[in-house]
Amino acid sequence: MAADASMVSAVKIAGAMVGAGLALGGGAVGASIGDGLAGSQTIAGVARNPEAQGRLTTIMFLTVGLCEAAYFINLVFAALFVFSLGK
Amino acid sequence: MGLTNLLATPLTGIDISVGDHVQRKIFGLTINVEIVWATIIAAIIVIGLGLVLRKKATAGVPGKFQLLWELAVGAVQKQVDDTIGPRGAKVVPLALTLFIFIFTCNLFEVLSIGSKLEWLPAPTSDINLPLAMALFVIVLVHRAAIKNRGLGGYFKHYYARPFPPKLFPVNLFMNTVEEIVRPVTLTLRLFGNLFAGGLMLSLLASLVIWKLGSVPIGGILSVPFTVVWKLFDMAIGAIQAFIFALLTILYFDTAMAPDHEHQESGDYIDA
Repeated sequence: MAADASMVSAVKIAGAMVGAGLALGGGAVGASIGDGLAGSQTIAGVARNPEAQGRLTTIMFLTVGLCEAAYFINLVFAALFVFSLGK
Repeated sequence: MGLTNLLATPLTGIDISVGDHVQRKIFGLTINVEIVWATIIAAIIVIGLGLVLRKKATAGVPGKFQLLWELAVGAVQKQVDDTIGPRGAKVVPLALTLFIFIFTCNLFEVLSIGSKLEWLPAPTSDINLPLAMALFVIVLVHRAAIKNRGLGGYFKHYYARPFPPKLFPVNLFMNTVEEIVRPVTLTLRLFGNLFAGGLMLSLLASLVIWKLGSVPIGGILSVPFTVVWKLFDMAIGAIQAFIFALLTILYFDTAMAPDHEHQESGDYIDA
């Protein structure tokens, strides 16, 4: 049975959208949990030892950057699915 | 535009495509012309800043320009001292150059407007430059490891860490995976952030067109959106440049550490 061309493209687009949604959603969950952990521990650290705030803030931003990076890698793959493979 | 057409627009109608570059073929290699130009301009800026500093540098009271450089050099030097110790003095110039160069490259993002072809896109938003830099760093790290432990020690290291030698297949597998993952994540982290920054500009623009295109001067709203995003993006660019330099230092730390010390200094970040 020959597949309808418009059907094929619709399935393609649907698959790309679902894949991108999964990548973005899962990435966002992970990255936000990581960011939250980093932030909460920084607050705990500053509450214990207020003098360490300067150093802790630097380390926190570093950790947040690393966590976010995982998400941005997902975002690239999502863009790949939606804008390249889905078309 | 009919209603159904308008509703379907955000899904399939947005004409965003990724990875478009002005390409030339040179000796069978495909060159992304505008990326190369942006890289060259960033390099000229960095080298120029260095040359200006050399002219202006004084042992007396430093000016603002020199102070800025001393701040950057001091920060990197302190990081290296804290992480590697005095052994790592050779890493300072590499890490500093990487930081300044990547930071300059990332600042090019300010010039982009989210169109298909930018005049001067951030060179790091194309995968080739981050990949080249990551490979450069990783090759130097392996060279440092061989220099530090000798060729035999270098290969022994794959077997003998972190579990006892009896479990050498596990050790071999874990270390090999680690060495392969390092350049990949180093590349994708930087590329992903900058690429997402450019993509976000396109998405903001199409969002404004989709919802506000019919309102007479609604398109102007894309300006504040873009400005806010770019401010955030510049912070991301600075953090990513810093992380690239820091991970370079940490990789050199694992390569330069003597064997017995390695167990203690196992708290390096590896993402």
